[in-house]
Amino acid sequence: MQPDAAVLVAALALPFVAVPFVPALFRVVGQRVAFFAAAVAAGSFGLLATQYGAHGAVQLPWIPSLGVSLTLYVDGLALLIGFLASGVGVLVFTYSYGYMAHEHGHVKYYATLLAFMGSMLGVAFAADLLALFVFWELTSVTSFLLIGHHQREDASQYAARKSMLITVAGGLFMLAGFLVLAFASGDTAAGRTFVLIGTENSLIANGEAVREALRAAGLFVPALALVAVGAITKSAQAPFHVWLPNAMEAPTPVSAFLHSATMVKAGVYLVGRFRPLFAPELPSVPEWTLLLATLGLVSMTITAILAVGATDIKELLAYSTASHLGLIIAGYGLAGPAAVELGAETGAFHIFNHAVFKATLFLVAGIIAHEAHTRKLEELGGLAGDLPIVAGITGIAALGMAGVPPFNGFWSKELLFETTYFVAVEHGGLYWLYPAIAVFGSVFTFLYSIRFLMLFFGDRPSGLADDIHRPPLAMLAPPALLAAIALATGIVPQLGIDAVVQSAFEASLPVAAEAHSLTLSIPKLFSFTPYLGMSLLTVGLGAVAYPFYGRLHAGVRWARAVDYTSPNWYYDGLTEGANGVSRRLAVGLHGGAFRTYVAPLLLGTAVLALAGYAAAGSISVDGVGAVPPVPLIVVLGVAVVGAGAVARAPSHIAGVLTLSVLGFMVAIVFILANAPDLALTQLVIETLVLVLFLLVLDRLPAYYGEIRSRARGIADAALASLVGFTVFATVLVATSASPEEPIFQYFLARAGVPAEHGPFFSDFGGGSNVVNVILVDFRAFDTLGEIAVVAMAALSVLTLVGMRAQTETEMAERPESDSADDPAATPATDGGRGPPPASADDPAPSDGTDGSGGVDR
Amino acid sequence: MTSTVVIAPLLVALGTAILALLTRRVPRLQRALSVAGAGAYVVGVAVLVRAVRLDPDGRLVYRVSNWDGPFGIVLIADPLSTLMLALAAVVSLVAAVYSVRFVGREGQRLSYHALYHLMVVGVTGALLTGDVFNLFVWFEVMLMSSYVLVAFASDSDATRAALQYAVLNLLGSAVMLLAIGGLYATTGTLNMADMARRLADPTAFGIDPAPVLGLSALLLVVFLLKAGVMPFQFWVPDAYRAAPAPVTAVLAGVVKKVGVYAVVRLYFTVFAAAPLTVSLPGISGGPELGFLAFFGPVLFLMATASAILGGLGAIDQPDMEGLLAYSSIAQIGFIMLPLAVAATAAAPAVRTVGIAAALVYSVNHGLAKSLLFLAVGAAEDAIGSTRLSDLGGLTEVAPVLSGAFLIGALSLVGIPPLTGFFAKLLVFDTAVRAGAPLALAVALAGAILTIAYVTRAWNNAFWGSPGSRVHAAATAARTGRDDGPAVADGGHADAADDAHGTAGDDLATVASIADPVLVGCTLSLAVLLVALGIGFDPLYAAATDAAAAALDTEAYVRAVDPAIAGDAIADGGGTGGDQDVAEQLRALRGDGR
Repeated sequence: MQPDAAVLVAALALPFVAVPFVPALFRVVGQRVAFFAAAVAAGSFGLLATQYGAHGAVQLPWIPSLGVSLTLYVDGLALLIGFLASGVGVLVFTYSYGYMAHEHGHVKYYATLLAFMGSMLGVAFAADLLALFVFWELTSVTSFLLIGHHQREDASQYAARKSMLITVAGGLFMLAGFLVLAFASGDTAAGRTFVLIGTENSLIANGEAVREALRAAGLFVPALALVAVGAITKSAQAPFHVWLPNAMEAPTPVSAFLHSATMVKAGVYLVGRFRPLFAPELPSVPEWTLLLATLGLVSMTITAILAVGATDIKELLAYSTASHLGLIIAGYGLAGPAAVELGAETGAFHIFNHAVFKATLFLVAGIIAHEAHTRKLEELGGLAGDLPIVAGITGIAALGMAGVPPFNGFWSKELLFETTYFVAVEHGGLYWLYPAIAVFGSVFTFLYSIRFLMLFFGDRPSGLADDIHRPPLAMLAPPALLAAIALATGIVPQLGIDAVVQSAFEASLPVAAEAHSLTLSIPKLFSFTPYLGMSLLTVGLGAVAYPFYGRLHAGVRWARAVDYTSPNWYYDGLTEGANGVSRRLAVGLHGGAFRTYVAPLLLGTAVLALAGYAAAGSISVDGVGAVPPVPLIVVLGVAVVGAGAVARAPSHIAGVLTLSVLGFMVAIVFILANAPDLALTQLVIETLVLVLFLLVLDRLPAYYGEIRSRARGIADAALASLVGFTVFATVLVATSASPEEPIFQYFLARAGVPAEHGPFFSDFGGGSNVVNVILVDFRAFDTLGEIAVVAMAALSVLTLVGMRAQTETEMAERPESDSADDPAATPATDGGRGPPPASADDPAPSDGTDGSGGVDR
Repeated sequence: MTSTVVIAPLLVALGTAILALLTRRVPRLQRALSVAGAGAYVVGVAVLVRAVRLDPDGRLVYRVSNWDGPFGIVLIADPLSTLMLALAAVVSLVAAVYSVRFVGREGQRLSYHALYHLMVVGVTGALLTGDVFNLFVWFEVMLMSSYVLVAFASDSDATRAALQYAVLNLLGSAVMLLAIGGLYATTGTLNMADMARRLADPTAFGIDPAPVLGLSALLLVVFLLKAGVMPFQFWVPDAYRAAPAPVTAVLAGVVKKVGVYAVVRLYFTVFAAAPLTVSLPGISGGPELGFLAFFGPVLFLMATASAILGGLGAIDQPDMEGLLAYSSIAQIGFIMLPLAVAATAAAPAVRTVGIAAALVYSVNHGLAKSLLFLAVGAAEDAIGSTRLSDLGGLTEVAPVLSGAFLIGALSLVGIPPLTGFFAKLLVFDTAVRAGAPLALAVALAGAILTIAYVTRAWNNAFWGSPGSRVHAAATAARTGRDDGPAVADGGHADAADDAHGTAGDDLATVASIADPVLVGCTLSLAVLLVALGIGFDPLYAAATDAAAAALDTEAYVRAVDPAIAGDAIADGGGTGGDQDVAEQLRALRGDGR
């Protein structure tokens, strides 16, 4: 079935179109605007549901001259992400009605969340790389705004900026990767394109040629790395995972939606999408696997360990999300002969499973924080008595997260074990590290999952409030529904596979590959396989280790406090270091001392010009060695003495007088060169300037600045000499040239009156002085401009005097308005701006930032 | 083709300036004329843009006083100059409307409007002229008017900043005069087209192109000084801080771009024609690259320094204007970067993309940076300060203004689908196509710095807890409009008491503390940034046309060529040739003597 363009566009546009209605509706229906948003999400979901089973691309024009189109591509993977974005959207909007009841900023919240949902749908369906990038960055920006929802909190601002810096910067790398791909495609027969998939000349359809072109240009690995940077920053993979725990500053529904089920899935989606391009069927292990599978598994393990060190329930879930995204990336990353199909199955199935159980757990975390008023793990426990239904929901989701059979997460984790096992068997050697790391990391996953579940069991800590209410229905129904889906998928995995996963993993197979049907069911568990053994080993090791959770927790906290291995330390060091550099740079460059501005300008000018003369090779220079006439030598000698005297002049008056010596000598040079009119002009100007200077100098302070150090004096002298030399060289080369037919010949010819003429003529100047004719006729336009300049000079005097009077009157009338800050207000201002108080009952997971939370915004 | 439309925008701006001076005694009329003049300027530019588009050659020429080029002064409008003119027209109209509300009454009456429009005259002349000395004149007009406008507030800071601005730029003028004198002496002409023609075939005109390289390097200083490229940026921070917001908007949005325009026009259209083998340690190029083999690396170094150091400097500025000023230095680096890559790119396609990237970036920066300065000005108007420590929580008291600022800021970062995204995309694409990983790395690093300073500014000024000044402004806004919705909940009576509180509820009743006209001006630019991004096709087409026009030296020369200029009307054009000119001149010489 071909997708229906109109329906697709409607599904994508609906959330964006709804955004402007949010403020108006909020005025009418108040917080029930949540249900409007949920309805919009349901509308998008419904529209996408009609495309279920569709496969193919629709092309809409956007920027034809740049070769960019709004190509939308529908297949199983796109639909999987699309259903997650809109389906979880419905639930999150509904949940928000309960959760946000006592919060501020509803309009901003719902409008941004809707825009995010539209962007996420765009990421899922856009097949043109630039269109994809548009939506990709929009998800980053909306995420920035949502993380900073509590905009007065320093921790929120810190978190928002961190996520923006990391994800948008990563996105820019990805953009560069896209451009490299488009560049390489220009060398193929199909021609330059930004379309990734779905059309005849798309990158994936011509994968072989594109890969060859990339390799020929030596760009294969760079392109892969650039795209991967975008994916792993977005999907919070080590070492870029650090933004995700901080992002928990966002309201919990946002965390459930953006930072577990959808936005962070954009990165893994991209990996799944690019897999057919970068990881074709090869007899060997591709670079793809070496890069992404390794990175995914390592990241999965590191973040799982960090989750054990978490003290806050949302922080635990955040690290856990990064860990599971690592699992998905590892799955997609595993390619090559043994894993090409299994890896894709792992990735696609775990995208689905993780979204379901993690969204559930976040919503549960929201309920706990909402009802128990704390998110600290150590302050919580034994909640099952107060919240029995929530405990049941959590049980299903947490066991799925732990990978315990027969819950949903088990099945996809089992696929990962299977894939790593076969890769190891196929290639041997160091590849056995893959299954080993997978098991090792999964042990920690098991540990923290059980720890989360134990919030509901065991003893109630003494500090816990007694009046824990059951959550409102709007907050209970969404996680319950998700848990039901998780349970069903766990017991009958084929349900989920047939619904979406089968078609989703097919999207990540090499173009030519034939996919077999993935079948999983509980009876399979009764025939032992090595990878089932890995699962059992994971659970067994986890069960053995759980009693030592407290010590492990302390160990992890100690380990991550080590500066040099903590990405947060580098992030904070860089951002705060940048502030320091920024301050020093600004003072160093623009400290206000005028000489420090002029010197680089002059130096730059001289160097540039001299380099230009040098680069041009030999320049012929006339007249070198010729002896000028004696009068000229005398005049110039006096001028040189005058110039020297200017530099040594002890006062303004002496300086101006000696400077005028120079000017008058120039006038004499003009006389000697048979240019009496120029000489006259020079004399008049020189005299006027001298008189004006003397009049004004009377009002100026009568001292010169002193040259404080000898070094500075020498440097200044050297600079002055360099500038002098540059001007000298310029005049020398300019006067040596003798171009043919210079334009002045025309002026000489046309300035006068023609020999034969009537009463009126326009092709001759009709004047007797060629300079005058040039000024008022040939180049009268220049004169117009210069008149404007002179007029403005007059205006400037008027303005400066007038405005000064004006300012002085204002200052006199309102003395307080321009004075320094109101002293009473200063403490309040500073208080709001300093680092956040590290108080113990601060609900923020400030531990997640390695003690740096909110220092730098 | 020749057309009088070419000079229309310049005459409109000049006429407006003169009328603004004449109507000083009737301030209301003066303000109306000023805004109407800015509107008429937009119309004039629009007519010119259309005329150029309809012209088969895409180039319109106007010979001032009807003297043929290269002897008289020729104005030439082509896709390159009209693109920049269009930017100038939009920004100057918005800023003119803004000025009426922003600048003090007495200042407006004294000289503001006349100077403002004379600044536009300077910009227009510089963009249209086809004569290097005439270019100098318009640079002087721009300099003189902007000098007074920078000093406009006349307090000590403004006077000091204006003095530095004037002295540095006057040094630049001296250098420019020296360079132009040298160019005239070595090439024998001042007309750009004629200069290009002579440089393209130096032996036929008895020219040695070797000294011209150094002279053009000298001239480059002036344009880079105007554009604020490192190491010629020293005037930027203080001048931008001192000037009134609408003036800063035009300075950063338009006047800077004249420097960019001049670099493209002179170095890619005129000097690129010279066949010269360039060699310095680290720099070498055959005659096909010509002068650009020298200017490519030079521009690259400066662009890198600007993008990186400017971006770093912007991160921790104490005030918004300083931050935006440093950002301007950084962004000009992004404009110069593709030009540097284009200069040394052998493939013509890459060169076109590079210039188009610089032009699109110029348009984006012109709109976005003007928007940001106007937004900051609107906040200053309400709060009385732009220091980050006095701001905070602006989204709560000026939501629309904040939204507009966010759009401008995101456009600087390059977030799609804003215009800035495509600007950054094209810069990246230039680097990728030219196989210049170093340029790509600089662009990426600069972009990351942009995110860093933009988010920091946003967090400090627009999020966070409102400071005392913001509370005071909110109180003033509420009491100023007693009949507004602010009274509805009756809680405003004791607002003055808890104005210093942090509860925020007293702010909830304020719709906006910012002046609606100022907000409207800012918002209009934000809308434009979104619209030009979503509908990017026309802008891209205009930029590639402009780039193609900039690179087509031959067509540029043909449009102005003196040989056909004289009898263009008679025979409807023709290829002309060096021969004809030489003969004509020889004949003239015989006549004249």
